[in-house]
Amino acid sequence: METRVLLKNRKPDRILDLDEYRASGGYTAAEEMLQTGRPADVQEVLEAAGLLGRGGAAFPMGVKLSTVAEDAPFPRYLVCNADEMEPGTFKDRVLIHTSPHLLIEGMLLAAFSVRAEHGIIFIRPEYENAARILEREAALAREHGLLGKNIFSSGFNFDIVVHRSGGRYICGEGTALLNALEGKRPNPRKPPPYPTVRGLWQLPTVVQNVETLCFVPHVVQNGAEWFRNLATGPDEAGTKIFSVSGRVRRPGCYELPMGTALSEIIETHAGGMAGDGRFKACLPGGASTGYMPESMYHQEMGYKGLSDAGFRLGTAAVMVFDHSACLVGATVNLLAFFARESCGWCTPCREGLPYMHDLLRRIENGQGRAEFVPMLREMAGQMGLAYCAFAPGAAAPVESLITYFEDELREHIETRRCPFETRGPIAGATK
Amino acid sequence: MPKLIIDNREIEVPEGTKVIKAAEKLGIYIPRFCFHHALGAVGACRVCAVKFQEGPVDGVQMSCMIDAQDGMKVSTADPEAADFRRSVIEWLMLNHPHDCPVCDEGGHCLLQDLTVAGGHGIRRSKGRKRTYTDQYLGPLVYHEMNRCIQCYRCVRFYREYSGYSDLGVTGIAGRVYFGRLREGILESPFAGNLIDICPTGVYTDRPSRYTGRRWDFERTPGVCIHCSLGCRTTVSARYRQVVRVEGRFSQQVNRDFICDRGRYGFYYADRPGRPRNGRINGQTVSAQQAVEEARDRLQRITQEHGPEAVGIIGSARSSLQTLSALVHLCHTTGWQGPVFRNTWIAGAAADAAVRALSPENAFSMREIETADAILAVGADPVNEAPMLALAMRQAQRTGAEIIAIDPRPLDWPFDFAHLACRAEEMEETLASAAERLSASRRPVVICGTEITDDGIVMQAADLVAGLRGSDKRAGLFCTMPQANSFGAALLDESNACAADLADRIETGQIRALAVFESDLWHVFPDRSRLSTALEKLDLLVSVDFLDTPLFENADIGIPSLTVFEAGGIYVNQEGRAQQVRPAHTGGLPIAAAGLGDHPPRSFSPDVPGRDMPAAWAAAFSLSGQAPPETDAQMTAWMRDNFAVLADLAHMEADGVRLFAGRKVSIPDEAQIPEKKPDQFLELLPAPTIFGGEPMSGHSQCLRELAGLPAVWMARADADRLGIADDDRVSLGFENIEVTLNVRISDPMAQGVLVVYRHPDIDWQPAPDGKRIFISEDQIRRIEKA
Amino acid sequence: MLAEQIRAELEKQIAAADHPQELAVDVMLAFQEAAGYLSDTALEAAAAMLKMHPVEIEEIATFYTFIYREPVGQNVIHICDSVICWLDGSESLMDYICRKLGIAPGQTTPDGGFTLLPACCLGYCDRSPAMMINRKVYGHLSRERIDDILARFEHEEPA
Ligand SMILES: Cc1cc2nc3c(=O)[nH]c(=O)nc-3n(C[C@H](O)[C@H](O)[C@H](O)COP(=O)(O)O)c2cc1C
Ligand code: SF4
Ligand code: FES
Repeated sequence: METRVLLKNRKPDRILDLDEYRASGGYTAAEEMLQTGRPADVQEVLEAAGLLGRGGAAFPMGVKLSTVAEDAPFPRYLVCNADEMEPGTFKDRVLIHTSPHLLIEGMLLAAFSVRAEHGIIFIRPEYENAARILEREAALAREHGLLGKNIFSSGFNFDIVVHRSGGRYICGEGTALLNALEGKRPNPRKPPPYPTVRGLWQLPTVVQNVETLCFVPHVVQNGAEWFRNLATGPDEAGTKIFSVSGRVRRPGCYELPMGTALSEIIETHAGGMAGDGRFKACLPGGASTGYMPESMYHQEMGYKGLSDAGFRLGTAAVMVFDHSACLVGATVNLLAFFARESCGWCTPCREGLPYMHDLLRRIENGQGRAEFVPMLREMAGQMGLAYCAFAPGAAAPVESLITYFEDELREHIETRRCPFETRGPIAGATK
Repeated sequence: MPKLIIDNREIEVPEGTKVIKAAEKLGIYIPRFCFHHALGAVGACRVCAVKFQEGPVDGVQMSCMIDAQDGMKVSTADPEAADFRRSVIEWLMLNHPHDCPVCDEGGHCLLQDLTVAGGHGIRRSKGRKRTYTDQYLGPLVYHEMNRCIQCYRCVRFYREYSGYSDLGVTGIAGRVYFGRLREGILESPFAGNLIDICPTGVYTDRPSRYTGRRWDFERTPGVCIHCSLGCRTTVSARYRQVVRVEGRFSQQVNRDFICDRGRYGFYYADRPGRPRNGRINGQTVSAQQAVEEARDRLQRITQEHGPEAVGIIGSARSSLQTLSALVHLCHTTGWQGPVFRNTWIAGAAADAAVRALSPENAFSMREIETADAILAVGADPVNEAPMLALAMRQAQRTGAEIIAIDPRPLDWPFDFAHLACRAEEMEETLASAAERLSASRRPVVICGTEITDDGIVMQAADLVAGLRGSDKRAGLFCTMPQANSFGAALLDESNACAADLADRIETGQIRALAVFESDLWHVFPDRSRLSTALEKLDLLVSVDFLDTPLFENADIGIPSLTVFEAGGIYVNQEGRAQQVRPAHTGGLPIAAAGLGDHPPRSFSPDVPGRDMPAAWAAAFSLSGQAPPETDAQMTAWMRDNFAVLADLAHMEADGVRLFAGRKVSIPDEAQIPEKKPDQFLELLPAPTIFGGEPMSGHSQCLRELAGLPAVWMARADADRLGIADDDRVSLGFENIEVTLNVRISDPMAQGVLVVYRHPDIDWQPAPDGKRIFISEDQIRRIEKA
Repeated sequence: MLAEQIRAELEKQIAAADHPQELAVDVMLAFQEAAGYLSDTALEAAAAMLKMHPVEIEEIATFYTFIYREPVGQNVIHICDSVICWLDGSESLMDYICRKLGIAPGQTTPDGGFTLLPACCLGYCDRSPAMMINRKVYGHLSRERIDDILARFEHEEPA
């Protein structure tokens, strides 16, 4: 069953404007909290609610906020990560286009909880429309006293600027993003110190994903208990927006209870498999997660559930492949993406990923050799020792390909060609 | 202090020590590319992986990124870690060329070593190698980007450590590129260190390309003598010729690096025009004959006119051996001198510095790095003592505030407050700026001695004394004009200067002059007076390894050995005596002996050009004494004969500190600088890093970096005189006129024209060695053609 | 090079910023907007405005996908080549566009009308295959739709 919290006001083709948002109860959580609450209240309710970061790393937001020390220096920064470059992921775009004020209110509350005065939305250049919407709506919020000085007469000041990226996947990585904002090369930084201690310009900085921030007003308003109960079971919390794409009839964003089964996502919400395709595999959370094979078709899709099963929910970008799709080819494509997007800082990623791509491409093209498989397996494992989480993410599809689809690899190698006729007919024909 | 176990051996290290360094203390070398002890850890290359078996950290991790902690058990040989390191090397070799035989780094290449050590021998990849376009980076550093393994050491050194910004890293992923925006000369005068710091052959030594493999070279520890700091070097020689100089680690002096003047200044030693034979009245003779002839003629003059008729001049570019031999020479013969300075004024500041420095207040460069406030007065480190600038930068990187009091335009690679003032305003400015040091706990005052006078040095020393307190360590650091200025001051008891000798020549009292390794022609303040005086002499003897104008015009020329052939002891500006060993046996380089036909085909029983004496040996010979036979005997002789040198017995790796106490002889009255008259500008000749120092000035590659001769003036002065940046002006004084390009600077002191020494500006405009004032109407703007 | 008004606006922002470097990407994009790409002179001008060394600008300019350091056509087509679009035939669409425009990926048509560049996942996987022209995304591509879309640009008079 769809449980719409974030997307409850979703309108076809237009955003929820400020009046509509306020009419639906928007900014009441912020008003009440700023006027009568303490910063720690926000942290506490988020922690109790078990709100995990939705940007991929699933770090508890309340815990992160609490690592900004009471006596940490000012100014402090709140950064909204709207880079959303994880292939397959488009939920943040949908969220901004649905209800920009939900994000603004979420940022306001998060900022209040750490007494940050500066808010920055870091957005990928492909989302120019979204950037303009945010700039316009933030200006409107400012006009209405929802941003700026002395918000709700609480004495709290907070404002938001939109920062357009020049466009690179690694910029979404929380610490690389800080370098990008500073006008430096967006190489990641190695904690400690963590950004909440020394982030942007060496000052305390909280980086959160769009979706995570959008939950904040709801959790503050409705409480931890309510949030936890949104999920399918006690191990998970809240809802999750699944960006479903690939070989399904109705690709799109679906907000569902955390822990909804994969089969339900595909069949009930995404309209089932496209054409007469059969489910073969899916990447559950974007390009940097591993393929879930057919045997996991009924897997419950939650952070806890998937990690117990040895997978990662990532951004919950479910990319579905049917039996006509060559997973070797798909993985070659993914590796090409990662090799191209590597920031070039550390050796495993900069040199290892192109090497893995080269080996796998040879397999796909019928020039593969049996010894390539153990080489790929070893290297994929070694990506875990790269400088940041990019390279291990890149290795995830390769590792799972070898684990679950070794036969398909071997077939490529033994028959010296790709056994798949086509990569599917062009555009839309199957939908 | 955490205690940990690495490869089953226990070690205790100070808090904050990285595991990779802790292992080093046990003699275990963990591979590394990006880690460099001067640059720190950034975790980029991932080749230092080790296995953490027990303790607070678990699994394979980078040993450069993790602090040693109690209870750690680390294995470097663990198969998982070793396999990973091998993979890292395989990845780096995917794109690295396999042409070690034609790479100048081959044989001392870290990548080569670790590839072999890591067990990566067979290329498995079928992929193609990526290639790049190289850049021309100037006459010193050769660039070959295909060899790059992206360890980022170069930009980290260039930007973060040395503070220059024209080298950068561009591109992304497998196309990361290290270079300049466009081809062109690297702006940093420390760029040569890229060669030492690059673990492969991306940056190699351009002038010495293809002169040999490292194992072909005789490699000797040396000390740089191109400024007063005395940085440690490693000298590489081959076929009786120095081919390359590199930085050598020293805990107290330069740490890892050297400046480009020090690295490339050695070419004077083997340039074709270097005197290698004796000369008598223009006739070429053997060195020995020249020595004997000089001895005989000097004795004759002594007999005829008394010992007062002979004067001896030396200079602070000579070794302590030579300086002490000259003192001894005058003692035994009664000859006048030796004088080591041109005028009293010129040497007064350096002498005051030597007198002021004591074990309590003298800071080393290492201590400068940890200072929390620095006040520099009349010192321009980049031009006078380049490595000092890097030490100051390290202080600033850890938060030190830096203030400069100086009339010159200062271009330093770090932020500082510049209080621009003229000499006569310095005292007051220093007094008021001193306030700003009061809150610091490790303040240091850096005082120059080239454009300042002894009054300022004494004031700086007093300031330091006043700052010292129970919880404070305050330091004094003085830069000096030449490599052995300190040593010369220690030994100087003559109470005379070259100008005094000139007086006596003019009165006919002195009839013969022997000049040892001195650039009198270039540094004596009044050249016309000097040449008239020299004309008047019955005998001029010149002992030198440089073909100076004096040597050319001497009645007797005696060639001497360079530091590379004779070695020697040099006392740097903080009183640190350091021993230099000879780098090769001496003699004519094979390249020269064979006239390009190598090896030479003609037979000779001994090495050609081997009969030259060290200047100190020549000094002994002039009095008819036999010089000590070995270096060791000479050092012992010095200790026995000079009380100030007794401590040479305790020379250690970092040298030994010699202090003078109040022994140095200078007039007790400090001078008071005259005031600049109105409608006049002060002409201030200033030292410069490239082209201004006599020895390194002979290096062709450095002359390329000297730029055009220019005069610098403050914006307000230029505006008043209607002069614009890049204009040409002619300056007229006395009977000389020079034409120079104008550079306008802000800030610099008003009323001052700064002219950096330049090989193309060849004049001495200070008749009395005092400050030079030039009337405004003697500055003419020249219309551009 | 930069319209006075835009320059003034940027300079105002720079003057107001605690850390002018934060605006590096904005300044580069503004110069690029004006000339189509970030030329060497624009790069130096941007560096001067931001008080950065030109090579520091180059360091980030060459990092980002959407900063063009070489001249591009009037319209820049970024065609998504990431996995979902690939699954839906982006390779053959790329071929199709190449043949249609007579250029290879990375090239510009001789009349300067179009530059064709591959792009990472554009975040429009729900409408794959997708491409972006001048910051506007077009989804559900087919050959016919591509013909349609490109025709719209071809009829536009050059600015
Ligand atoms: C290579 C890489 C790319 C990432 N890209 C994004 C992104 O585009 N958007 C995002 O919100 N988080 C991204 N992340 C996760 C961030 O590092 C960070 O965890 C997140 O923004 C924190 O917000 P959250 O806790 O609300 O999820 C990325 C991480 C990695 C390693
Ligand atoms: S794994 Fe290394 S090269 Fe890759 S993105 Fe992270 S830091 Fe950059
Ligand atoms: S030396 Fe440790 S990562 Fe390079």
